[in-house]
Amino acid sequence: MEQHIHPEPTNFIWKYVFTIDHKVIAKQFLFTGLTFLLVGGTLAMMIRWQWAFPWGAPVPVIGKLLLPTTGGAITPPAYASIFTMHGLIMIFWAITPILIGAFGNFTIPLMIGARDMAFPRLNMYSYWMFFVSSVFVVLSFTSQLGAASGGWTTYPPLSTNVGSPGWGQTYMALAIFSTGISTIMGGINYIVTVIRFRAPGMGYMQMPLTIWGMWLTAILNVLFVPVLGSAALLLALDRLFGTRFFVAGAAVGTHGGDPMLFQHLFWIFGHPEVYILILPAWGIVCDLLSFFARKPAFWYRGSVFAMVAVTVLSAVVYGHHMYQTGMAPLLGLGFEILTLTISVPAVLLFVNWLNTIWKGSIRLQTPMLFALGMVFVFGAGGLTGLLLGTISTDIYLHDTMYVVGHFHLTMAAASFLASFAALYFWFPKMFGRMMNETLGKFHFWGSVIFITLVFGGQLLAGYSGQHRRLFDPFQYEYITHLKLLNRWTSYFAFALFFTQTTFVFNFFFSIFAGKKATDNPWEVTTLDWTHTATPPVYHNFDVVPTVVRGPHEYANPEVKRLLKRDWIDQVEAMPEAASAGIVVGAEPEALGAE
Amino acid sequence: MGTIVELRPRAREDFTQSLGMMIGLASWTMMFGALFFMYFGMRANAPMWPPAGTPRLPVALPAVNTAVLAASSLALWRGVSQLAKGRRGALAPWVGVAMVLGIAFVTLQVMGWRTQLAAGLLPSSGAYGSVFYGLTALHAVHVAAGLLVLLVVLVRSLLGTYTEHNVIRVRVAAMFWHFVDAVWLLMFVSIYLF
Repeated sequence: MEQHIHPEPTNFIWKYVFTIDHKVIAKQFLFTGLTFLLVGGTLAMMIRWQWAFPWGAPVPVIGKLLLPTTGGAITPPAYASIFTMHGLIMIFWAITPILIGAFGNFTIPLMIGARDMAFPRLNMYSYWMFFVSSVFVVLSFTSQLGAASGGWTTYPPLSTNVGSPGWGQTYMALAIFSTGISTIMGGINYIVTVIRFRAPGMGYMQMPLTIWGMWLTAILNVLFVPVLGSAALLLALDRLFGTRFFVAGAAVGTHGGDPMLFQHLFWIFGHPEVYILILPAWGIVCDLLSFFARKPAFWYRGSVFAMVAVTVLSAVVYGHHMYQTGMAPLLGLGFEILTLTISVPAVLLFVNWLNTIWKGSIRLQTPMLFALGMVFVFGAGGLTGLLLGTISTDIYLHDTMYVVGHFHLTMAAASFLASFAALYFWFPKMFGRMMNETLGKFHFWGSVIFITLVFGGQLLAGYSGQHRRLFDPFQYEYITHLKLLNRWTSYFAFALFFTQTTFVFNFFFSIFAGKKATDNPWEVTTLDWTHTATPPVYHNFDVVPTVVRGPHEYANPEVKRLLKRDWIDQVEAMPEAASAGIVVGAEPEALGAE
Repeated sequence: MGTIVELRPRAREDFTQSLGMMIGLASWTMMFGALFFMYFGMRANAPMWPPAGTPRLPVALPAVNTAVLAASSLALWRGVSQLAKGRRGALAPWVGVAMVLGIAFVTLQVMGWRTQLAAGLLPSSGAYGSVFYGLTALHAVHVAAGLLVLLVVLVRSLLGTYTEHNVIRVRVAAMFWHFVDAVWLLMFVSIYLF
């Protein structure tokens, strides 16, 4: 592909605001995403506060500021808004921009040897559309009658004008729609860039697994986010123009719509969405485990196959979210079988991870720790999912805190640990400086321990029958004994929140005063580290390199003998002596002397 | 590593452009697919359609409208193929014709809505009204967006931006226009005829 080198803009606006440079757009997504992560995290703390001290106890520190009319205490309607906004913000405005927006944009061109995305201007529109959607989120918070409160799933009738009047929910429907457009624009770019802009010699099977994850995620995004877009649009029409697509209580006999249809549309998108959020994480972890265990990724093709299989299967299992909606038993059985089938490629991937680190020369630096933490929490999350995919157990666990614990372990804990792994790993490439290792390790241990305790506590509470989303769970007599469990889970959640302050400090301190990074501080093999400066020049590569091997060439004894190091990058030719060395070293008699 | 197909740089560039548009249209297809899924789901559960007491929608006006939009597509296709053959002056008039037909479509569509409103079918009258106004309005928004794109194409073709060498830039715009027309055909068949 003939890729032109655009002149670098010198004006601040064109360089940092309306930029078409994928590296700057990645940072825009990163900073916006981290800001919303703080907002979503604060909302989570308020939910935990409510479960620890239901009724009355004012939320400390921020309570008076956010809920002035009640003196800081959370009221039932405020509580409904808080958990709704927590879910939506974390999924669409925190994980998505950080994992996909920031790291997708940053890694794809650099790792495949492209000078930018295929459509740089579309990339810019993608960020600014995302910004528009963020404005809708803020508007939702400031609207009268409060922010959206229909739950993150936005099910009618709760989300119709009957269930949640006012502009809060309408703004969120529009926000979901516009962030969807942003995601689709990004997705088109990712797909085309990977297909068309790989460096010469880089076949699909020479791509780093991070790129495979990002690419498959982009495909799912482009195909399934528009379905959510439709649902959000129809909901907005119902709210704004009085149509009756989803208005409840209006059965077909009275010519009304059907709220169940929203659930179908929502989950046709919603199930692919959970894989949208985990596939990049899988890809990143596949690569990082290999990079830091100093071994080739175990069965590269198997990992690719597993991710492709999950991508395909994810499109046909959405019904398992709707087992309890009166679905025909035979249909439910079909969805159950397909759902449980997903665990086959997932386990294959998991075994590949374990085999990758098995007997490796593991370097326990911060990115590796986070990658290992992701493997752990994802394993726990995956195993607990089996009970939800099976109808007979799901009947009891449906809509309990068990579901909450399960999906937080997979798509929250696992995705965020992988995001942090990626952030610690690519931080030097982004900002030219290293993050502090000691603070990073503290951040890791705090995060992984408290994440396990918080979501483990939620699994236990759910297993004991505590329903999700309850304002005061303990008004049900049969779970009053879970008060202590809930309170301790909350304490762990607060500890998890405060652990993140080490990250915030480390992040900003390192941007300005961190140790200067060398070009390849992790001694890895991929193009982003080996063939461009740290931080990269505007057009990434002065000369687009020609790739000669896969991304995980570690611990090759021949390389070690000739180059005195345990890695060789994707472009570097073996020294001349290498071929001679093989001939001399492998004497025919020695080989044949079995 | 697969076979490497060597293309001329221009052809490669063209392919990248149309690949982007095709993936975008796949996304749009899913969006309209979801709308149709919702509509068919609604109908599958309805004991009768249109619901008792609601008159059927008239077919004559949308049939004419379908012909108008098809003619518009044809005009645009004609202009693009003329440009590809090197007749640069031929593009602008054909784009103009396509736009006039597109505007005629929107006008007739508004007339259709007004007739139905006058007859008492409202967006809030239930599933039937919701589907009729909601789906056709969402489609009309796409036609309007397409008209804006065509306006840009028209201005640029009058300025002489397009040649037979960069015909791909008109072609991707035309792909969107043809797509919107094809969606209308499906809407006409499923909402008005059946």
